[in-house]
Amino acid sequence: MVGQPEPAVPKNDPKGPRVDVKDEKKKVKTPFSEFWKKFKKQRLALFAGIFIVLLLILAAIGPYITPYGSEEFDYDNILVGPSLAHWAGTDAYGRDIFSRIIAGTRISLFVGLCSVLLGATAGTILGLISGFYGKWLDSLIMRMCDVMFAFPGILLAIGIIAVLGPGLGNVIIAVSIFSVPIFARIVRSTTLAVKATLFVEATRSLGATNRRLIWKHIFPGTTSSIIVYFTMRIGTAILIAASLSFLGLGAQPPTPEWGAMLSSGRDYLNTAPHVTFFPGMAIFVTVLAFNLLGDGLRDALDPKIKD
Amino acid sequence: MLKKSYQLLLLVVLAFSLVLAGCSSNSTSSNGGKDSDSDGKLKEAEEQPLAKKEGNSITVGVADNFISMDPHDTNDTLSYSAQKSMLEGLVGFDKDMNVIPVLAEDYEASDNAKEFTFKLREGVTFHDGTPFNAEAVKVNVDRLADPDNNLKRHSLFSLVDKTEVVDEYTVKVSLKEPFGAMINNFAHPAAMMISPKALEEYGKDVARNPVGTGPYKFSEWEPGDHLSVEKNEDYWQDGLPKLDGITFKPVPENGSRVAMLQTGEADYIYPVPTEQANEIQGKDGIVIESDPSIIVRYMSMNTNKEPFNDLKVRQAINYAINKEAFVKVVMQGFGSELDSVIAPNTQFYSKQDPYKYDIEKAKQLLKEAGYENGFEATIWGSNNSSTMKGMEFLQQQLSQVGIKLDVEPMESGTMSDKIWSVENPEDAEIELYYGGWSPSTGDADWGIRPLLGGESFPPQSYNTAYYKNDKADKLINDALQTADPDVREKAYADVQKILWEDAPWAFLAVTNTMGGKKNYLEGVYLLPDGSLSVQEAEIKQ
Repeated sequence: MVGQPEPAVPKNDPKGPRVDVKDEKKKVKTPFSEFWKKFKKQRLALFAGIFIVLLLILAAIGPYITPYGSEEFDYDNILVGPSLAHWAGTDAYGRDIFSRIIAGTRISLFVGLCSVLLGATAGTILGLISGFYGKWLDSLIMRMCDVMFAFPGILLAIGIIAVLGPGLGNVIIAVSIFSVPIFARIVRSTTLAVKATLFVEATRSLGATNRRLIWKHIFPGTTSSIIVYFTMRIGTAILIAASLSFLGLGAQPPTPEWGAMLSSGRDYLNTAPHVTFFPGMAIFVTVLAFNLLGDGLRDALDPKIKD
Repeated sequence: MLKKSYQLLLLVVLAFSLVLAGCSSNSTSSNGGKDSDSDGKLKEAEEQPLAKKEGNSITVGVADNFISMDPHDTNDTLSYSAQKSMLEGLVGFDKDMNVIPVLAEDYEASDNAKEFTFKLREGVTFHDGTPFNAEAVKVNVDRLADPDNNLKRHSLFSLVDKTEVVDEYTVKVSLKEPFGAMINNFAHPAAMMISPKALEEYGKDVARNPVGTGPYKFSEWEPGDHLSVEKNEDYWQDGLPKLDGITFKPVPENGSRVAMLQTGEADYIYPVPTEQANEIQGKDGIVIESDPSIIVRYMSMNTNKEPFNDLKVRQAINYAINKEAFVKVVMQGFGSELDSVIAPNTQFYSKQDPYKYDIEKAKQLLKEAGYENGFEATIWGSNNSSTMKGMEFLQQQLSQVGIKLDVEPMESGTMSDKIWSVENPEDAEIELYYGGWSPSTGDADWGIRPLLGGESFPPQSYNTAYYKNDKADKLINDALQTADPDVREKAYADVQKILWEDAPWAFLAVTNTMGGKKNYLEGVYLLPDGSLSVQEAEIKQ
């Protein structure tokens, strides 16, 4: 764990009198505890973080605790509104919407995490190369990113799906591809800044290889911005994945994917709005939580913002 | 920081409005739930005062754009709905798809079903003043029968050998070979008469300038926006037309179309989305009319492919599907179980003994066929929401007997590549296909031969089951060799029995036509083939 205080800090009686010297020493903290101190103050982000942890737990154990199976149909109870037996009502086939939303948590989070992880990895590598080596390589990578930025995100994703064919796996690929340029650009700009610092110059003059320079010295300097954007992008990725499923390009029936559930309920918008309301709410709250967490992380990690 | 608090505010407002929306809609949803509990049957419209109507013209909201106003070159039912207000055929269909005389006073068929003689109505003129006579009929039938014209409805008249003018008001059509259902082809809207003068003047452009003998005259057509017709003062039938004009408006979005009827912007809409039928029935002076159509829903099984080449598997699938639940879940109750290959309103329909929903029997049959543990298969269909719903339902049903279906919705381009362009039956990838069919001639032949005839494999026609049964083919052919209804009825009864027992399809349901009107409107109705009749429309105040 990173949370351990450094041994340099002496253990002292918290109630005891303090002298100035000790206070000076107390300010030397691990990066994590410093981050935690700042992050704790972001009430909303903290709340969002807790919510996301709960979601992750739900995704892991969800299918074992749901009251009904996600594909269990009951033609005698179709489109029933929320009740004690069915907390979020039932859909057009009499399936329990609450159980399906829980089952869908796993899919949405998996798609969100996977696609951003893939995109961030590729983007970070490209950004590091681009920022470190510069010259024509930099121009090439950045111009390619510009081309991809020129497409609106969802359009690019639809285009990729059109080539690859519909399906959840391909949605992950599509979403990760359009996450690449964002990470590449952010990592490149941080790389440029870190590369110009004195300690990198010093390491270089000591004879460190490029590889060592990049991985041991520059990459760690970029992590804080990567973490912030990583969190924010998960929200976007979940939203795009749900949109693609809504359009019939992602998850196929009967998968309880939130976007697909939303899509199948749109015919009943007037007569049974709960069929669209609850999956929509699930998407809304989850994406909001990731964005709030990302906001909080940014404020906590940004050295320019003083507490 | 300012930006952030602004964002937060926005979020709170959004969340609040969502919750509000949830609350208000929950109250209506409990109503909606009750309605759908009553097995989806249309609730009785309560007595309500006539809604107010100003003027003597009506607006009809439809689901799609019109494609053509040339009946000879039209293959969508919707375009026919508008055409039928302006044009008429020698014969036509009444409300129950029976053939009735229209521009012909009388007709007769020779015993060998090769010669058809029409006695025409006298004193009828086209909208442009051209007299309607035997010569005009000849021009129209010749146009349809000439393959060089590349008309979409040539296929209905490809058998015509020659058309002769016997006298001013008698015309005789001879066929190359016998075809017992020819009168139904003449009753099909494809055979409506266009003014010969207009055909000469406009050529192919007659599709934008229709000139007929109907109760309404063409006025203007802004594609994508509206098409309007106006009163024909010189119409041959006494007392018609009763309106000054009709405007057809394409409104693809279900919700908007319903809203137009509710506000009175439209006086008639179709189709009414089944999901909302009970919700709007009896309010704002709205009356919903739902009647059995001749449109059948089925799932074809490729009988060339394992495991569907095994009769036991096909029958097991029929037993494994709860048809009653299909009608209830997929059609909200607006339909009925299909108990032959054609719907009850189709000519020469004969009821078969239904495959009763019986999972045990289905499992038993699968076991006998050697598929005790089920199998996997792919079902294809188009990607609109009602089709997807049907396919998902079938997936659920068949999962009960261990058959795992992979649902593959396709947009029409992909579908035409993968299904309708396959030249060689052995190359066909298709396994299961969820489809629908409206035999718009109203005759058994058009309901059976294109779908299950041995010569109707794609790309020629629509036999997605690749089903070929020599005995059935012979009976279908026999029935075409004569115009004698008794002989034809017998032959079709036998064909239906064979097809039913051979089960190349999972027989599902007959859909209902769904129209919605304001209660002051009379005389507008949907025919069982899904086309609209507005000729007798009137406003009661």
